[in-house]
Amino acid sequence: MQNLIELKDLKREFVITKGWIKRKKEIVKAVDGISFEVKKGEIFGLLGQNGAGKTTIIKMLITLLAPSSGTCKVLGYNTYGEEKEFRDKINFIFGGEMGVYKRLSARDNLKYFANLYYMDEAKANKQIDKLLELVDLKNKADVLVETFSKGMVQRLQIARGLINDPEIIFMDEPTIGLDPLGAKILRNIIRKLKTDGKTIMLTTHYLYEADELCDRIAIINNGHLVALGTPQELRNIISGMNTIEIVLEKVTNETIDVIEKLESVRSVEKADTDKGIKLIIKYLEDADISGNILNSLSGLKILSFNQKELTLEDVYIKLVEASR
Amino acid sequence: MKNLKVLWTTMTLQMKNSFVRPMFRFCLLANPLVNTILLYEMFINSGQINFINYVILGAGLMGIWSCICFSSAGDINRERWYGTLSIIYTAPADFRLVIIGKILGNTILSLITFAVSFAAARLFFKGNFYAPQAYQFLISFISMILSFAVIAIFLAYLLTLSRKTTLYMNLIEYPVILVCGFVFPVDILPNWVQKISFSLPPTWAVKLLRMSVAGEVEASIFLDTFYKLVFITGIYVIIVILLYKIINKQVRKLGTLEMQ
Ligand SMILES: Nc1ncnc2c1ncn2[C@@H]1O[C@H](COP(=O)(O)OP(=O)(O)OP(=O)(O)O)[C@@H](O)[C@H]1O
Ligand SMILES: [Mg+2]
Repeated sequence: MQNLIELKDLKREFVITKGWIKRKKEIVKAVDGISFEVKKGEIFGLLGQNGAGKTTIIKMLITLLAPSSGTCKVLGYNTYGEEKEFRDKINFIFGGEMGVYKRLSARDNLKYFANLYYMDEAKANKQIDKLLELVDLKNKADVLVETFSKGMVQRLQIARGLINDPEIIFMDEPTIGLDPLGAKILRNIIRKLKTDGKTIMLTTHYLYEADELCDRIAIINNGHLVALGTPQELRNIISGMNTIEIVLEKVTNETIDVIEKLESVRSVEKADTDKGIKLIIKYLEDADISGNILNSLSGLKILSFNQKELTLEDVYIKLVEASR
Repeated sequence: MKNLKVLWTTMTLQMKNSFVRPMFRFCLLANPLVNTILLYEMFINSGQINFINYVILGAGLMGIWSCICFSSAGDINRERWYGTLSIIYTAPADFRLVIIGKILGNTILSLITFAVSFAAARLFFKGNFYAPQAYQFLISFISMILSFAVIAIFLAYLLTLSRKTTLYMNLIEYPVILVCGFVFPVDILPNWVQKISFSLPPTWAVKLLRMSVAGEVEASIFLDTFYKLVFITGIYVIIVILLYKIINKQVRKLGTLEMQ
């Protein structure tokens, strides 16, 4: 498959001046040597803490910032210097209430932006109707945006970001500020875009969202790439153990012995709790042992049974903490 | 053709956006009204016969300059705040077209200031604007508008590089009114200031306008001033063209198109 986005040892520094009287210059290394590729049709996630450098990476990709050094290519073109070659094929959506004219109606906003993409009028009007429907703003199309709620403005932004039917869409925290339903609608839009063959790069602080949506994820910390892979691959990096927690009315040591001897089980801990006796069983991740465990517990009263899977959040926290 | 459309839609959008802003309406309507009254009181004992012309021109020019100055600078900042500046910049349409469209929109709107000061002079002082050389006046007026627009583009470009636009725009507003002789002739300024005056297109545009309403001006002197204006404005046009190449790089190096 073709690489639509290509970063190689990409760096971006910012010079900031500090202090009022003694002006001190300080260099912030926002992006400090990042390399990865994004293939056509992928949903690629960028994860990382506040200030990790995610937005800076996206801004370099959408031709808004010049890299300090390294390669930054979109559709095979340098984003600084060859930007004219591909600006019509990309677009971006930034979360929040920015990026639209408050004193125009939703439709007039989209019309204006369609002009900036040199779309002919008939095509633009069709696209605008389609998008207004997609983001559920059809019945507000001719209302001034200043009367919109935050979420509505953001949905308009989404429509704006899709106005030119872009091949690659960059989204920086697109679901921030949307209500759960709105966020779900957006995730469905993203999935639909993928089935239409679009390529998407997004950042989010909601890990389940990244887990659910992304084909591959890059975890960034302090401008460095910490990990890169499919959500499953990332889990495997720190993998090892899954956990099952069972609360029983009572349990004998023999039963515990039986469980401990099951294949893939690595440890069984016993704890007395108010609700009963809790067994914490750790086992190798890929094994499927719940059936065997239940067998060995036959005849005992099970008060609760809880299989805990490693979430992307566990992975994320481990990796980011390890990289400090 | 498609570029004309970008220009046109940007211009109309800008006019819409500007006019709904109370501050802009103040610059457009109240400002020339007040200035007309003030200038009238100042000029009434000047002994000049056509002083009402100077009042109207002075108030109109001050108004148009404030509008252009505040909006070319202010609009860049506003769009930066709204996050639309980065969208405009990264869209395929040429950024220059959008900037020019915005400034043309504001410039055309700002012509209202002349109408206001004209009407105010008439209403309050029964003063009549008197332009015996209609052609000369028309030529002067149009060149004045063009030269102001060029300056506004120059400023707007520069201000894409800085987030402190409001500061700069307040900094230049009044000096230009004085230095370019909107109200008083440049001749009364100190010599070194006059050097600055002569390097700014509005100075010549204002001079030309004054001449066209003074009556009895030799065509050769008028033409001479006109050529000077064309020449100086031409230099600014060249600067603006060259400046864009630098701006286009620097905005991305410095990252000044957005709030941070
Ligand atoms: N224009 C700028 N001037 C100076 N420093 C900047 C600028 N833009 C970003 N930075 C700095 O670069 C670093 C990375 O910022 P960036 O916005 O890319 O982080 P992020 O990963 O998007 O964070 P968040 O999750 O909070 O959005 C931060 O330390 C930030 O302060
Ligand atoms: Mg960010």
